[in-house]
This record gives sequence, structure tokens and C-alpha cells, in this order.
Amino acid sequence: MSVLTASRPLGPTVGRLTRRHAWTAAVVVFFSVLLAWNASQTRNFGAFEIQTMLASTLALAYLAMAQSVVVIGGGIDLSVGALLVLANCLSARFMEGTGFGTSLLVAAGVLAVTAALGALTGLVITASKIPDIIVTLATSFVWGGAALFVLRTPGGGTAAGFQTLVLGSGSAWWPALLCLLAPLLLVWVPLRRSRTGIAIYALGSSKDAAFLSGVDPLRTRMVAYTFSGLLCGLAGIATTAFTGGGSPQSTIAMNSTLASVAAIVLGGVALSGGVGGLVGPVFAVWCLYLIPNIMLGLGVDPSYGEVVKGVVVVLVVLVGGLLRARRSRLT
Amino acid sequence: MVALRSVDLAVAPGEIHALVGANGAGKSTLVRILSGVVPPDAGAVEVAGRAVRFRSPAHARAGGLAPVFQDPAFAPDLTVAENLRLTATDPAAFRRRLDGFGLDGVHLGEPAGTLPLPLLRMLDLARVLAHDPALLLLDEITAALPADYAERVFEVIRRARDDGRSVLFISHRLLEVQEVCDRVTVLRDGRNVDTLEIKGPEGSGERTERRIVAAMLGERAALAVSEPRRVAPRDTTRAGEPALQVRGLSDGHRVREVSLELARGEVLGITGLEGQGQDELFAILAGDRRPAGGEIVAAGRRLVARHPQEAIRRGLTLVPSDRWQALLPQRSVRENLAVPQYNAPSRWGWINDGRERRLVAEAIARLSIDTRAQAQARRLSGGNQQKVAIGRWLVGGFTTLLCFDPTRGIDVGTKHQIYDLFRELAAAGKSVLMFTSELREVPLACDRVLVIYDGRIVGEFKAADADEATLLSAAHGLADTLTDSR
Repeated sequence: MSVLTASRPLGPTVGRLTRRHAWTAAVVVFFSVLLAWNASQTRNFGAFEIQTMLASTLALAYLAMAQSVVVIGGGIDLSVGALLVLANCLSARFMEGTGFGTSLLVAAGVLAVTAALGALTGLVITASKIPDIIVTLATSFVWGGAALFVLRTPGGGTAAGFQTLVLGSGSAWWPALLCLLAPLLLVWVPLRRSRTGIAIYALGSSKDAAFLSGVDPLRTRMVAYTFSGLLCGLAGIATTAFTGGGSPQSTIAMNSTLASVAAIVLGGVALSGGVGGLVGPVFAVWCLYLIPNIMLGLGVDPSYGEVVKGVVVVLVVLVGGLLRARRSRLT
Repeated sequence: MVALRSVDLAVAPGEIHALVGANGAGKSTLVRILSGVVPPDAGAVEVAGRAVRFRSPAHARAGGLAPVFQDPAFAPDLTVAENLRLTATDPAAFRRRLDGFGLDGVHLGEPAGTLPLPLLRMLDLARVLAHDPALLLLDEITAALPADYAERVFEVIRRARDDGRSVLFISHRLLEVQEVCDRVTVLRDGRNVDTLEIKGPEGSGERTERRIVAAMLGERAALAVSEPRRVAPRDTTRAGEPALQVRGLSDGHRVREVSLELARGEVLGITGLEGQGQDELFAILAGDRRPAGGEIVAAGRRLVARHPQEAIRRGLTLVPSDRWQALLPQRSVRENLAVPQYNAPSRWGWINDGRERRLVAEAIARLSIDTRAQAQARRLSGGNQQKVAIGRWLVGGFTTLLCFDPTRGIDVGTKHQIYDLFRELAAAGKSVLMFTSELREVPLACDRVLVIYDGRIVGEFKAADADEATLLSAAHGLADTLTDSR
């Protein structure tokens, strides 16, 4: 063994696994602290509060996952919010006045549409070689405009049974959790372990290395954006179920796109690509939900909530960055 | 811009064929075409008698052509195992190859980005071999590779040849080309200008080398290389206070108690294996990293640099090994050369255009930078990029130049120009501290050489006495040859 390898131990080390998932673990701990704090403020904190949290964050959690997939693949998607609004309007318009079964069919149709739009986005980006940020900025206007054709004013509706299926009701918190886990377990876990999933990470990590390793950028991009589109569709449908209708307002699109970026940054996805997962961002969404609640419990003006959320994002990323820098200095 | 005009090349089965040429001769472009990275405009590639046209690296690999580039094709955030899956490499076959290299301690769960570059190159080679390619394309694989690794690479490609495979071996090191290869093709300006047989290490080595170099540089430059082995430089060291003194410098980790002294008018070399603390030492001297202990005295005054700018103001300037840490790829050569000037704007903060243009023109002339591609620095060949990286400080001004592997991946002609430049600078009273991983250049460029091992200076030699064997054994920490000459 040469001096070179001997000076740097390469055998298994205990810390390797925790090192790779350190950020996610830290976000989970942060969430637990916030949850405990929030629980201590609320009398009889229990299933109802959990259900409220899961139901009201479901759409944004899907959206954060949608953004994560794209960013891990080395892109960024500014159209996730607009696609959410489009899916929201489509589902609210066509579910209105229908029964449970039809609502399910409509949901499936909407998902097919958003997944196809995602695939189209990926195709345009790769084929035209225009940067993601420009293409998705443009498509966000297109999807937002299309939403206005579907639903001119806020309205529409959905079947009551469908709402319960997606979000649960009262103290039944597990339907919302199951809905959240479904795409994670059914699509992401198998994808992550497949060659295509590795290719998404490789493309985000180093375009050149990925290409030289035989990754097909077109196919990989399209898979990432298709999955992202599917998740945006789920987010739109969850919004329909939560609000009981649809709203074509562009501010919703913008706010939720920005919130998705905040969540992935807090959730440990590197904006430079190749690093992170989908679980961290979901916990980050919950953290960002709990912060204003806790402030309310402390009797602080809830208007400060947004300010604190922003400060927390910067602080967490700052501290995380410092820790990473320190670690790289030590090793 | 045409990098490759017309090349005819035939590699026989069971042959190690070297491809040599000055920077910008088109070697890398040829490899990129052969491995499917870029499509050719014209011409045909035949493998085993059948015409092929590779659409992608994966396609080329399936066709039996496998490249190993200077930058290993590993996604840094993925583990080695995941990278293997990406290329559909059988981990067992990969392991067997690694064992063959004597690298059995590598853990495949490690993210590729955390591994040192030379090791990654070996992993890349093992991965390529695991696919049993008919033709192995090695693009400067031994550049900045520690000597023991290079030896293993040679063993591996000899074995591949004995198995009936072919190897296309690109290298700037003519010695290893003559040692390892059967035939050599010389490229110049995108054409093949000469192909010659190498008759084994005994034959007329020197004549072969001279013929290769002459073919590489063309008739115009052939005269200049007729005496490529410069004898040890004359002593230009000036008495008086040293330009740079380092006492007991350490960073608490990789650099341990390093002391050295650099006189005005001296070129001091440092050599060592990969990862012995030289990167950290240079980073500290350049003000890019703070030391944990010890002191740096530049021009008689103690220097505590918290930022590279403070070191630069005191005349301590760094030319890093990675040129892209020094250059602005999209900007012109002129702007790149003038950047250090912007630290010291003239009155009112305006940039004095006339003065800038004059200084830049001087630097270009002095370094004979090929300004055909003046538009953007990234369009220059590697050798010209390195000249620009050094030229920045000729424009910006310095007293001590810190150069990290200044001739890495550079052709012979340019290397000698850089050595000459160092000698000229020394004669003018400037000092140069250069790290080099190529032991052969020590007597060509330096007055004195230090050997660093495990963060310590373990040897000091006069460059004239520094033969490769002595330096190598010191670099491996085998002999503590530090003589207390001071």
C-alpha cells in the first residue's frame, strides 16, 4: 500500500452513513424541537393538531418534493407553483358536483396532464439547451394563464368523500400522511435505487462526469421533470381537497414556488445539484409551518412570522454551511 | 477554431501506441472524437476493420473503446459504488482490477468527491479495464500522478498489451513514452507529422527523443531544443536579507513545523508525493488559509495575512495548480493579465487604459503567449493558459512567486520557456518558490530543492546534486537527509 492511500484511511468508518444523512437528521431534530415547543403551548395537543398540520402542509410538502427532484438533477423549476395552480383549477372545475368515483377519475386525469407538462418542460430544456430557470419562468406564465382559462374566478368544488380520503378529518391524521408517503414509497424509492435515479444525482453533481459515464441527459432530465410534474399535480389536487375549490390567482403560484425553494434549502438540497433527498424538504415544510404557530402561542404578532421564517432559513443554512466548511477543513 | 485538421492513425492489436504533441496539437480532441464525446466533421474510424460512428461515450465503450481522461469521470456527490452502477460496471470485476493495482483498501461507499485525485484516476482506470476494452485511451493519465502509481499504471498497460489489447497512450513525459510504448505518433497543428518505432529502452534513446521533440515543435523551434537539458543554473543568489522566511509554520493538521528560507534571486523547489501538506503550505503562504503556529517573514517584516490580498500587497503571489482558480475563462487574455492591476486603481479609481495596455503587451511579448485566441482565456491551449496565469503577476508586480506544479500537462517547449522565465526573474532579483511533482524538472529550473513528507521538510539538496533516486527516496520518507546547512 502506498503512502498516499495509507495516509488517508478508506476503510469503513462509523460516521459515513450519518455523515451522508447528517442534514436530514438535523432537520428532523429541529422539527421535533419545534413540535414539542408547539405542543407545550397548546392544551390537549393531540391527533387533531397533527391532522391540521398534515392537511394544511400537504400541498406544499408535495411541491417541495417536486422542486427537490429537479434541483438534485442540476436544474431549478420556477413553474412548480403555477403547475399547482393549474392542477388546482382543473381538478376544482371538473370535480365540482361529482361523486367520489368521478373525483378520483378526474384526479388521475389531472395527474396525467401535469406529468405530461413536466415531461414537456424537461424536453424543451434539454433539446433547446436554454437554462432551466428561463424555460420554467416562461412555462410558469403559460401554466398560470392556462389556469385562468380553466377557472376564470375562484370557485369549483370537489366531492366531500374525496376530501376525507386525501386529508382525513377530525383526529384521523393518517390519510394525509399516507397520501404524502404514497409517491415517496411508490415512485421515489424505486427510482432512487434504479440506474435512472443515480443518473439524476450524477447529472446534478457533474454534467461532464455523468455524460462520460454514459448518462443520457435528455432521458434523465425528462424523468426528473415528469416526476416533478406528477408531484405538482398532487399538490394541486391536495389544494383542491383542502380549500374545497380552485383559485387561479398568480400570487398563489409565486408564493408557493418561493416557499418550495426555501423548503429545499432548509431541507438540505444543494442548489448546485447532486446533494440531498426528498425527506429533508418535507420536514423543512413542517418546520416552516410550526414557526408562526409557535409565535402565535407566544403572543407575538403573527405578522412577524414571515420575518422569523426568513431569518431561520438564512441562519440554518449559514450554520450548516459553517459546519460543512469546518468538517472539510478537518478532513 | 479547428483543433484537429487531418489525422491518420492506426493502432495494432497488442500494441501500446503513444500519441505526443505540443499543447494544442489536437491530442485531446482526437481522444474526444474516438471516445464519442464529440462527433468528427469528416473522416472514418474503424474498429477491427468495421467503420463505426460513436454517438456517445457509452456507445464507444460498448464498441470496445474506453477512455480515461485527466479529470476522472466520477460524479463527486455519488459514492464510488453508485458511479459504478452508472456505467453498468460489474463491482466484482472492478474489485479484481483494484486488487491487481494493490489498492484493496478502497471503500466503495465513499463519495467520489472526497477521494484524492490520483486515487480517483486509478479507480477510473480500474473501471475502464473491468469492461475489457479492445482499445484503451489514456489521456495524460500519469500527469501529477505519484511515481509509485505511475509505475502501477505502466504495469497494467503492459499486461493489457500482453492480453492482446491495444493502448493509445498520451503523455508529455517522453521518458515514460520510450519506456512503455512500442510506437509513437507525433501530432502537430492537428496533423500527424511522424510515426516512429521505439526499440526498447536500450537503443538510441537520446536520438529518438530528439527526433520526437523536433517533430513536435517543427523545424522552426527544433534549434531551440537541440540542447534541451540545461545544466544546473548559475548561482544568481544575492546576499542580503532573504525574500521570504518561514519559521515553524504549521496548520495544526497537515503542515508541521515547516521552516524555509528563500533568498532574493533564488528559485527554490519543493517536491513530494501527493497530499504531504504542500497544498496547505502554499495556501498559507498565499494568505488563503491561516496558520495555527509559526511565522512568515516577507521582505524583513512579519506577515500575518488574513486574506490573499494582504499577501499580494507584500509581494507574495500564487499561481495555483488549477488554472481556473486563477483565470477568468470567459474574459480576454488582456483582461486576465490586467486583473491583478485592478487592486491598485489609479487616482479616482479609473483604470488607466494606456498603462494597462502597455503592461499587458509587455507580458504577452515576454511570455510569447500565442494570442491567436485572444478573445477568451478558455480558448487557449493549456500551455498558453499557464503562461497567462503567470503573466498576471508580471503585470501586477511581485517579489516572490509561488508556483504550484507550474508545468503540469504542458508540452516540452512551453516547459522550457517557463524554466527560462524563472531563471530570468531570478536574475532580475525576484524569487520563485515552486512545488513540482516532476522530479526531472528540479535541476532544470531550481537552485535548491526541499522535499516535503508528511507535513515536514525532510530533505534539502542543491538542485545540481538532486538526482531522481535521491529525491524519490526522500519523498517516500525513507531517509532523513535534512542537513543543517543554515
